[in-house]
Amino acid sequence: MAMIEVKNVTKQFGDLTVLDNFSVDFDHSGVTVLIGPSGTGKSTLLRCINGLEKIDEGDILVDGLSVNNKKNLKQIRKTCGMVFQQTVIFPHMNVLDNLTMSPIKLLRMSKAEAEDKARYYLDKVGLASKEKSRHNELSGGEQQRIAIARALMMSPEALLLDEITSALDPEMTREVLNILVNLAKEGVCMLCVTHEMSFAKEVASRILFMEGGKLVCDVSKDDFFGSVREENERINKFLSFIGE
Amino acid sequence: MQDVHTIGKYADFAVGDIRTFAEACGVTLSVTLLSLLIGTVIGIIFGLIRCSKNKLIRFLPLIIMEPLRNSPLVVQLFLVYYGLPVMAGILLKDYTAAIITLSLNTAAFFGVLVHNSILAIPVSQWEAGYALGHGKFSTFINVIARQALRLLIPQAITLYIGQLQCSSIVSLISLRDITRVGQLLSVRTMRPFAVWGIVFGLYYLVSFPLARLADYLAKRIDYTY
Ligand SMILES: Nc1ncnc2c1ncn2[C@@H]1O[C@H](COP(=O)(O)OP(=O)(O)OP(=O)(O)O)[C@@H](O)[C@H]1O
Ligand SMILES: [Mg+2]
Repeated sequence: MAMIEVKNVTKQFGDLTVLDNFSVDFDHSGVTVLIGPSGTGKSTLLRCINGLEKIDEGDILVDGLSVNNKKNLKQIRKTCGMVFQQTVIFPHMNVLDNLTMSPIKLLRMSKAEAEDKARYYLDKVGLASKEKSRHNELSGGEQQRIAIARALMMSPEALLLDEITSALDPEMTREVLNILVNLAKEGVCMLCVTHEMSFAKEVASRILFMEGGKLVCDVSKDDFFGSVREENERINKFLSFIGE
Repeated sequence: MQDVHTIGKYADFAVGDIRTFAEACGVTLSVTLLSLLIGTVIGIIFGLIRCSKNKLIRFLPLIIMEPLRNSPLVVQLFLVYYGLPVMAGILLKDYTAAIITLSLNTAAFFGVLVHNSILAIPVSQWEAGYALGHGKFSTFINVIARQALRLLIPQAITLYIGQLQCSSIVSLISLRDITRVGQLLSVRTMRPFAVWGIVFGLYYLVSFPLARLADYLAKRIDYTY
C-alpha cells in the first residue's frame, strides 16, 4: 500500500475544475517533484492531501486513512508535515517555542525533550543561534528554514512543500534548497512543488508534470530530462520557459 | 454631617462632603466595574458565536447586539428601569437596572471587538496550526487567541474608559454616583464651578492612566508584530 493514494479526485472552486478525476500514488521514499504551469492545481493537490481543502469527488488515503473523514485529519497532518509558500511563523512566540509548542501540546513530549529535539533540528537548518529570535528578526530564508524545522519536529513520514522558495531571492533560495538536499540525502520523504530544476536534477527520484487538473506525465528524473523532454513538445516548451 | 439632600437650603462645603464624594466614587466604580466584568464575559461569548461557520448561529447574537449598538444608552436605561416594570411586572432597583443596562451595552460592543480581533488574524495562521496537527480548538487557543488578544486589549481599554464616562447616566435614575452627587452639591453650595470641577477631576483621575495604558499597549503591538 502506498503512503498517499489519491484516487479519482475532483476538486472544484465554483465552476472551475481544478483537479479533474486526478489519481496518483506516493510511496514512503525519495523526493517527488511536482511541476506544471501556474494555476493548474499543484497547491490545491497538496492542500487536499493535507485536508485543508475538501474534495468534491474521489478519495485520498494517507496511510490508509481517508481525508473525507474529519476524524482522520489530525493523524493525516501528523503523517504529512506541510510548509507553505508564504512562511507562517507564529509571531507571538520565539523560534524555540514555535518548534516545541506542537510536540508538547500534541505529542505530550516533555519540555526538555522537545527543546533538545528543537535544537537538533535548528542546528540542522543552520539556525542554532536564533532560538530566542522573533519572526521580525529573521530573514525570509531563515523563516522558511524554521518552518521546515517546525514541520520536522512532528516526525512526519513525509513533507509536503509548496513552492517554499518562490518568495525568496536567489541566495536565500539556495540556503533553503541546501537544507532540503541534505534532508533528502538522509532519506526524508518529500513531495515538492518547485520550479527549481537544478534542485529537481540533484535530488528528485520522480517527476510529475500536471496541467489543467490532470497528470500529464509521471516518470523518473532521468527519463523526464531525457527522453520525455525530447519527445514531449509541451514539456520541452515549459522547461525552456522557466529557463531550464 | 451635612446631607446632600438639603436641597434648596444653602450650605457651603463641609468636611462631610469628602465622604459623600468618596461614597459616590464607590457607586460609580462598583457599577462600572461590575458591568464591565459581566459585559466582557457576555461579550466574549457573543464574539465567539459571531465567529461560527454556521450562518444562522453567527446571526443570532446580532439580534441583541445591533439594537444595543444603535440606540442611546440613556434610552436603554429608561427602558429597563421604567419600561420593564410596566411591560413584564419586573420591578428593578436602580442599582440593578444600571448594571443590567451597562453590562448588556458593554457586551454588545465587546462582542464586536472580539469578533474583529479574531477575524484580523490571517487564515494562514489557522492553516499553519492545522498543518501541524492541531485541531480547531487547539489552534484557536495556542495560535489565534493569543494574537487576537494583543489586538483586543488596547481597544478593550478604550471601550472601558468610554463606558466609565457613560456610567454617569445612572444619575438620571437617581443613583448616587459621582455625577448625581455633583448635581446635588452644586445646587446646595451654589458653587457649580468648584463642584463640577471636582467631578470632572474625579473621572479624569481614573480615565487618564487607563488611556495612557491603552496607548502604550497599542504602540507595543505595532512594534513587535
Ligand atoms: N480558495 C480558492 N477559491 C477559488 N479559486 C481558487 C482557490 N484556490 C485556488 N483557486 C484557483 O484554483 C486554480 C488552481 O490553483 P492552485 O493554487 O492549486 O494552482 P497552482 O498550480 O499551485 O499555481 P501556482 O504555480 O501559481 O502556485 C487557480 O485557477 C486558482 O485561481
Ligand atoms: Mg501554488
